[in-house]
Amino acid sequence: MPVERVSQGFKDISSSFKVNPLSEDLIAIKNETAIARSIRNLVLTRQGARFFNPLLGSQVSGLLFENIDGLTSTDIEDQIRVTIKNFEPRVNLTEVRALPDYDLGGFDVTVDYEIVGIDILPQTLSFALQPTR
Amino acid sequence: MALVNFADLDFDQIKGSIQDYLRANSDFTDYDFEGSNLSTIIDVLAYNTYITSYNTNMVTNEVFIDSATLRENVVSLARNVGYVPRSRKSARSKISFFVDTSSYTNAPSSLILKAGTVCTTSTFGDQSYSFSIPSDITAPVINNIANFNDIIVYEGAQISQNFTVDAFSPNQRFILDNAGIDTSLIKVKVRSNVNATAANTYTRADSLFDLNGKSMVFFIQEVEDERYELIFGDGIFGRQLQAPEFITASYTVSNGKEANNLNSFKFSGSLMDDNDRIITSGISLITVVESSHSGAPIETIESIKKYGTRIYASRNRAVTSSDYEALIPSIYPETESVAAYGGESLNPPQFGKVFISIKPYNDRYLSNLIKDNIRRKLQKYSVAGIIPQVVDLKYLYVETNSNVYYNPNLAPSANTVKTAVSSNVNTYADSTQLNKFGARFKYSQFLNIIDESHQSITSNITTVVMRRDLRAVVNTFADYEICYGNRFHISDHSGYNIKSSGFTVSGISGTVYLMDIPNDDCNKTGIINLFKLDSPTQPQIIRRNVGNIDYIKGEIILNPINIISTTINKGIPLIEIEAVPYSNDIIGLQDLYLQLDTSKVIINMWTDEIASGAEISGTTHQVSSSYSNGVFVR
Repeated sequence: MPVERVSQGFKDISSSFKVNPLSEDLIAIKNETAIARSIRNLVLTRQGARFFNPLLGSQVSGLLFENIDGLTSTDIEDQIRVTIKNFEPRVNLTEVRALPDYDLGGFDVTVDYEIVGIDILPQTLSFALQPTR
Repeated sequence: MALVNFADLDFDQIKGSIQDYLRANSDFTDYDFEGSNLSTIIDVLAYNTYITSYNTNMVTNEVFIDSATLRENVVSLARNVGYVPRSRKSARSKISFFVDTSSYTNAPSSLILKAGTVCTTSTFGDQSYSFSIPSDITAPVINNIANFNDIIVYEGAQISQNFTVDAFSPNQRFILDNAGIDTSLIKVKVRSNVNATAANTYTRADSLFDLNGKSMVFFIQEVEDERYELIFGDGIFGRQLQAPEFITASYTVSNGKEANNLNSFKFSGSLMDDNDRIITSGISLITVVESSHSGAPIETIESIKKYGTRIYASRNRAVTSSDYEALIPSIYPETESVAAYGGESLNPPQFGKVFISIKPYNDRYLSNLIKDNIRRKLQKYSVAGIIPQVVDLKYLYVETNSNVYYNPNLAPSANTVKTAVSSNVNTYADSTQLNKFGARFKYSQFLNIIDESHQSITSNITTVVMRRDLRAVVNTFADYEICYGNRFHISDHSGYNIKSSGFTVSGISGTVYLMDIPNDDCNKTGIINLFKLDSPTQPQIIRRNVGNIDYIKGEIILNPINIISTTINKGIPLIEIEAVPYSNDIIGLQDLYLQLDTSKVIINMWTDEIASGAEISGTTHQVSSSYSNGVFVR
């Protein structure tokens, strides 16, 4: 039976694993911060890296070793779009842009989305993608 | 809420349990979303639990002989009850040749055939087999001829391995490096040191009986990777080795049953004369007295599980029929399957006897010599007054006729599907579900094997008959009793429920056949008549009441009859007699050895016009009968 949520807030654990000095508990990240972290996690996870869930993640990491041009940008945008659509039901995606950064040899990604279920302004998440070994 | 389900072996179920726990016990809410950090941690926890559960499950399985799957574990568990699994067995052949020494000056008085390779086969398909002897053979030279007659050679490479006993290594092990060793051919010699020439021969011991602290014996046990370890005495049971004694173990690494039935060899041995000259000329061609036989594979895991515990239960004593079944494979390692039963269960009973049927590897029957050997060896285990009797194997053949419907849209051709069916049927015929005493031909399973052979197969109609081959004693009046161990089906009360191949009898010209007519006793018994065929559809009864048939027991008895010849002769004159079983599941009762005769398995391919869409109304659907045909003879 599906579980009905009482609260529409989102609360995740921080990957820094640092302790909150006031509560002496793990630092939590909430709502838009938690969702932004989730989107980044999804985009940066290679497909096949997660146990028993080989489709989770995207092929963005592999695309970073392709030529830095508009074609690869489009591929990256598609990958991010599909990944978020499939694995992050908490957001409505508005736009994804991946711009080649020829100087740094990567791509600057901006993701615009709205969070479903809580009354928060549309969000913009920006991060840089660079090939790393 | 506590985590309560510890037994899950499914990753998703474990993950679900952890999520349920968090749902009830945590402030965090993002465990449901795959991208969250919490989800990653849950994945790691679930994976860890999964691996632990899996390992625990597998380890627990391997602890018990019933559920263990790895050979070294099964062997180790069998070792706990003192059982040493049978090793691979070299094929053996008997050969003869002679050497003409007339061309040598200083004619030798004897020749020595050195231990090791004696002869090889010619290469066939990149494979050649060598045959060797484990120890030297000396032949005297008489009139310039040295005869090496009836030498038994064993297939496989002869290998020697040395060990030096090390006083500073208390846990020293003597493991023979090669897999595929025939343990019955292991020879062990021990010298006082590496330079000594005198050697003591150690013999293999299987039990502690008659051993003392000076007995020169060794034990063997199977270790990892189908290899063997030599174990020497401890000074109480068997002499204890002392440093720096030098052990030489020579053994044969065999190809097992692959080297059976070879009958052409060329000499490739090493000959020396009594003057230590190497002899290379004057060697005749090799005459094969007995083609290679008795090669057998290493005992299977299934067999170790079966016999290990039963040998232990029998305590080296043959009391019940199961004890005989357990002991026979260790007495006669070429045993593929064995059945034993007390004479009291026969009709009429034969008290004081136990009957044993043995199916050897690579052969159908045992020779009289082997039967005598087995009987003699059994006497030291059996209870006084009980006579073990090794009887010939009785084969009960199953023949099938399958009409297989297939959808041609899903198959490249009918032949492809037929080949797939045939291959699966052959695999089933070779499986251990059949080919043993007490086996059962499972009709529904057989139908399923055919149905699952190819995706295009939609159904099959299969009829089954059982057959026994009567070995006729020609030109002699003899009575015959043929037991099927399965009830006969009566499809026609006017007779012709059994069918036979043709034969001739004295006093009647032409080929005759057997037929039955049921009596008026509620289909329990009937009589057997002889008939001739005027045409394929016109039988004519020639002689009545030549025997009886018991439909319930599945038994045909022929009164004394003088058979002159048979139309089927496979080295011995045979009359094939078939009957339709009352139940399509056929069992191999007592000494009946059940086999699916693949040469008599008929597979007909029929197009399923309904499934293929060619004629969905079914108007032209070809109907095949679920009952046997109306032919009178085989």
